[in-house]
Amino acid sequence: MWRLLSRHVSKTQLAGFAVANMVGLLIVLIGLQFYEDVRPVFSDEDSFMRKDYLVITKKVGNLSSIKSLFGGNTNTFSEEELEGLRSQPWVRKVGEFTTSNYPIYGMISLSGQNVSLRTSFFFESVPDEFIDTEVDGWDFDPEKPMIPIIVSKDYLSLYNFGFAASQGMPQLSEKMIGMVPIMFRLTGSDGTRDYVPGKIVGFSNRLNTIIVPESFMRWSNARYAPGVVDRPSRLIVEVSNPGDVKMQQYMDSCGYEIAGDKINSSKASYMLTVVMAIVIAVGLVISLLSFFILILSIYLLLQKNTRKLQDLLLLGYSPAQVSGLYIRMVVYVNAAVYVVSLVSLAIVRSMYLPYLESFALDGASFLPASLSGLLIIGLITAGNIVAIRRKIASLWYVEK
Amino acid sequence: MQKIELKNALPRVFAGQTGIRSEVWLRPVAFERGKKYLVSAESGGGKSSLCAYLYGYRADYSGEILFDGKDIRGMSVAGWCGVRRGGIAYLPQELRLFPELTAYENVELKNRLTGYKKRSEILSMFERLGIAGKVDSPVAKMSIGQQQRVAVIRTLCQPCDFFLLDEPVSHLDAANNAIVAAMVEEEAGRTGAGVIATSVGNDLSIKAEEVLRL
Repeated sequence: MWRLLSRHVSKTQLAGFAVANMVGLLIVLIGLQFYEDVRPVFSDEDSFMRKDYLVITKKVGNLSSIKSLFGGNTNTFSEEELEGLRSQPWVRKVGEFTTSNYPIYGMISLSGQNVSLRTSFFFESVPDEFIDTEVDGWDFDPEKPMIPIIVSKDYLSLYNFGFAASQGMPQLSEKMIGMVPIMFRLTGSDGTRDYVPGKIVGFSNRLNTIIVPESFMRWSNARYAPGVVDRPSRLIVEVSNPGDVKMQQYMDSCGYEIAGDKINSSKASYMLTVVMAIVIAVGLVISLLSFFILILSIYLLLQKNTRKLQDLLLLGYSPAQVSGLYIRMVVYVNAAVYVVSLVSLAIVRSMYLPYLESFALDGASFLPASLSGLLIIGLITAGNIVAIRRKIASLWYVEK
Repeated sequence: MQKIELKNALPRVFAGQTGIRSEVWLRPVAFERGKKYLVSAESGGGKSSLCAYLYGYRADYSGEILFDGKDIRGMSVAGWCGVRRGGIAYLPQELRLFPELTAYENVELKNRLTGYKKRSEILSMFERLGIAGKVDSPVAKMSIGQQQRVAVIRTLCQPCDFFLLDEPVSHLDAANNAIVAAMVEEEAGRTGAGVIATSVGNDLSIKAEEVLRL
């Protein structure tokens, strides 16, 4: 029977379909796989492009500078403004920066060398959940006073590559810095002076400031600046999608500023999503077109074989038996297309993965892409089968 | 299947025509299993239409056609496949052989579906009809008379309750007509099947119980 019905099978048309479908499927698969492979860069905890936290402040304008000279601080966030921010759909959590409200003097003596650094200091604190550095003993006990400090990694770079290099000072590693004892002089509003030791216990990529534990901040503000109520002037916000356009609009309308270029990297992540969506859409369109090529070529084939198919039905062959041949053909071709696409995907991936190695990426699982491919090819095959069945069912009645 | 009945049936192309004088159309007609019928017709009398209705590949008629009292309009595709494999053995007027296949392959295409005859039985039928030498020839290279005999063999390769033969001997001489008639009668006698044979002049040489003018 196959010999009978395969006579009009056009190899060119089948090949055309197979190639078109393969190109479409491959584009979809590469899009998905690349997205899977690259996504960790944008979303991993350790990644430099971590986008989920933004530090926001109010814009400092000329008028606010003058106002603050007269004691009023217009750059703090009121309770209403905080509520407004919290009610935004893209906000997950809002944390306030608390500032020390008393004078601090920091002193470093490098023993063995006659170098002593002295400077005025300030502290800030944020809720612990916003801190990206894992530190042991991140707490403060007034019985055994010792202030753990996290500073921005930028400060260390600034010292090592800016200051130390130009001034002939030794460069310091994170570990060495941790061993340097610092003495802080805390002065209260009533004139009390305490000397408290401290040390740098960690470096943060996220927080561009000097951070102490909240417990120390509460204790010290109550002790050295009792009665002073200060609104936060900086906020740390955890957002669901940093590329959200609405977020940027809200920030602009309220006159808030986002620190650093974090918003740019979030835009990059957003653009990656958009570009990948376009690539995948193009692949899907090509797959859809190839689907119609196959349908058309099958219809043409069935049309050419109408008489034979009707004769087979007249002999007592069921429509299922007759269509089975074509369905098998379609299934084989589609299965081959799927396998070849997966192999091609693996080859293409092995070509681009070396370029991603600089991001220390191992590459994501093959599973999401291959399952999506299976789904697409499955839908295409199902569509083909339905079309074949319907066409053959329509041949049942023989026109006079 | 014991009985095929027509009740007031009429091809739609005849609708509205007056003076239809037929012993089949617009009348109650019954074909019973075990009996032999000759339906003679003039060209254009709706003979092939009748076969097409009974074999289920056309339905452009009014009135009713019943198999064992059941209206065939409601029959499913699966039901018709069953009829074509075991209820009615049909020899179409236009033969409907596959020209690119050999004579034997054509017969085997049917026999494979029913598993009714052994290869030796099929070959002896070829022999009896004088086309043993053509078994492996492509049908396209055979004469129309030879092709008709191949189609007859194919029709015999299935169990049935009725033979429905549309001009089975139109291209055969008297000797071959007699052989075909004998083969059909033998098979029908063995299985108790009924025979409905049509013609436009060259009747199949069977002993018909009833002759109907279409």
